Amino acid sequence: MIDPLFLEGIIKVLFVFVLISAGLIISTRNLSSALTTYTIQSFLLAAVSFLLYLIDGKGQLLLLACLTLASKVILIPYFVSRIEEKIKIGRDLHFAYLEPTPSLLLSIGLILLSYTFLSRVFEGLPLSKLFFFGAVIGLSLTLMGMLVMFSRKKVVTKALGYLSMENGVLMFGLFVTELPFIIEVLIILDLIILVLLTTILAVGMDSSIEEYRQKFRELQIWTGVESR
Amino acid sequence: MIRYYLLVMGIFLALGLIPRSHRLMNALAAGNGLLHLVMSCIALLMLDLPVKLGASLYLDHLNLYVELITALGFSAAAFYARGYTDSLMETGELDPKNLKTFYLAFNLLLVTSTVALFSDNLALFWIFAELTTVCAAMLVAILSARENIDAALKYVFIVSGAMLFAFLGLVFLFTLSEQTLGEGTLNWTVLAVHASEFSPALLLASFTFTFIGFGAKAGVAPFHTWLPDAYARAPSVSAILSGLMQNLGIYGIIRMYALLRESSAAPQASSILIAAGVFSIALASFSMLQQRNLKRLIAFSSVEHMGLLLIGIGVGTPLALFWVLYYMLIHVLVKETLLFSAGILHRQYRSNMRENMKDVFKLQPRAAWCLILGSIAIVGMPPFPLFPAKFFILLESAAISPYLTLAVLFMLILAAASFANFLLKAFSKVTAEEENEKEEHRHITGTSAGTGGAVKENSTGKAAYEKSRLPGQYLVKNGMRVPTIFMLALALALGFYFPDSLKDLLDAIILELGYV
Repeated sequence: MIDPLFLEGIIKVLFVFVLISAGLIISTRNLSSALTTYTIQSFLLAAVSFLLYLIDGKGQLLLLACLTLASKVILIPYFVSRIEEKIKIGRDLHFAYLEPTPSLLLSIGLILLSYTFLSRVFEGLPLSKLFFFGAVIGLSLTLMGMLVMFSRKKVVTKALGYLSMENGVLMFGLFVTELPFIIEVLIILDLIILVLLTTILAVGMDSSIEEYRQKFRELQIWTGVESR
Repeated sequence: MIRYYLLVMGIFLALGLIPRSHRLMNALAAGNGLLHLVMSCIALLMLDLPVKLGASLYLDHLNLYVELITALGFSAAAFYARGYTDSLMETGELDPKNLKTFYLAFNLLLVTSTVALFSDNLALFWIFAELTTVCAAMLVAILSARENIDAALKYVFIVSGAMLFAFLGLVFLFTLSEQTLGEGTLNWTVLAVHASEFSPALLLASFTFTFIGFGAKAGVAPFHTWLPDAYARAPSVSAILSGLMQNLGIYGIIRMYALLRESSAAPQASSILIAAGVFSIALASFSMLQQRNLKRLIAFSSVEHMGLLLIGIGVGTPLALFWVLYYMLIHVLVKETLLFSAGILHRQYRSNMRENMKDVFKLQPRAAWCLILGSIAIVGMPPFPLFPAKFFILLESAAISPYLTLAVLFMLILAAASFANFLLKAFSKVTAEEENEKEEHRHITGTSAGTGGAVKENSTGKAAYEKSRLPGQYLVKNGMRVPTIFMLALALALGFYFPDSLKDLLDAIILELGYV
């Protein structure tokens, strides 16, 4: 048996890495590195859940770790990378409202915000310090993912933002309470369907493939007059 | 029980993939809608409500009522869809290969929303509400034009992103129940019993987060931005279905508010709802004022109505809730009339823009009249049933603050004015007869001077000219006309006669939610 305090220390280190990964997704302009960062983030989540299993010994946490590993570290990144190959665009250079530096500054604000908010809301709850921090990190990860969705124009990056939001929600759930396992499975199923849909649509939007351009040109009748 | 339902429906949908003819696919979709309509009627009449079947299937008056509205809307949309999709395929806007996907998403949307409504477990509700977003987005993207895909993605990202916040809210709720009851649960029936024991601060936090998610689903400002795009760029049928999904969001909000009503955090929750409601109405009515796109106008009117519903829920009195529930039904009837007619006009002019419409009464008289009557109904003029609904919600809101009532009333008038403005400008453009003849004459003499054979050229030249001048009347199929008129007639009938059974049903809902 490993010393629980040592494990808690490792989890805290992982928290830092999770936050760094969220910051990287916000600031990177390279699509494939954003995807790699997301994969690492999901892996960190699986690792945290595994370490919690070592502390608590609840089988559910181990299952969750395996599920996260299978779906978010292997399946979804594989699928997204296939799409990225297909659309032949390597970089997402356009930001809608915020450039990376202001959004990084803003995300510091968001972390502070979620800290103050949660410390007020959870006043009456018997939550240990580690679990409280986990919840804060989860909430800030969610908010930072939302920032990515707002500030990016390419659909693939937006989808990665959504995915990292979902990682945050899962992390929040992991530390605040123990959700029934079936719910976790359903959420991940829902996530996979959503990713499938958005990325397939993304082929239409982000694509630089000539075939799609052609198609859009043919449908000018619909687009030309309609827009605003 | 839900498992069996999903199994049966899964088989049904799989069978639905086999037929190749459009007629059969459409019949299956219409049958699906009618089946749900009949089933919920039977459940309403036969079962001793509220009843819990199995682990998570829960039937009470509220969800049966909302299901009834949804199924009614779906059935009408299915009948309408046949002629509409045919026309889309004729013009090459819809790829015939995508027709199967269209009907699959159509049926799937009804099934997922049904499961969402009838699940007692809020987490199940959340997941299936998410799936309805996916299906509705598929319907929006079905034309696979850039604009459509753009609108669909906006829909998915905004609603699903907001729904993740709703999930955070559910985590709060789960923690609360774990703290109070010893074992965590998300079953609404259990939560409703123990809601008064929960800590108000956490309950309020949970409500706020779930409100963000369900509010986005309902198209409440500031999370409404997906809605005008989805309405304006999607084919009419898809717009109708996304509109029906707004009721799902309102349903979630009603349920959450009913939990909160017991606790001391209720006033804060009310003010959140009322603030969001007023903001929605204000934003919508000002955006409607100079709107030149018909479907966008209708979309913003939806946002406005959702705002009024929120005010009604936020006021929190039994009377206000009664009219909110009634409002949900009428809103769907009238909104479908409007969107159906707008769809016919879009087929005629290939555009939703005001400036492209002319000679409306000559080309599409029925659609024009339906649109006019529908607009009269949607702004809440007396013979139509939205009048009493709006009247009583506003009357109840006066108890909170008369200024609130006045402000809302002013904005409702603004919305009515923008409908009138649009209709006057769009429908008054008529090519005058004299002008026609003069132009025709010039045209004919011009051509005959060139060729010389005046008499021979006269008739053919005239016909060709007629063809080029008028865009050609779009022949509306009966399948499209009947649902439009049916919905309008139903709304009008409800304006003159309030059935006792409906009143009993609404009373029962209010009683079950613990309002009295």
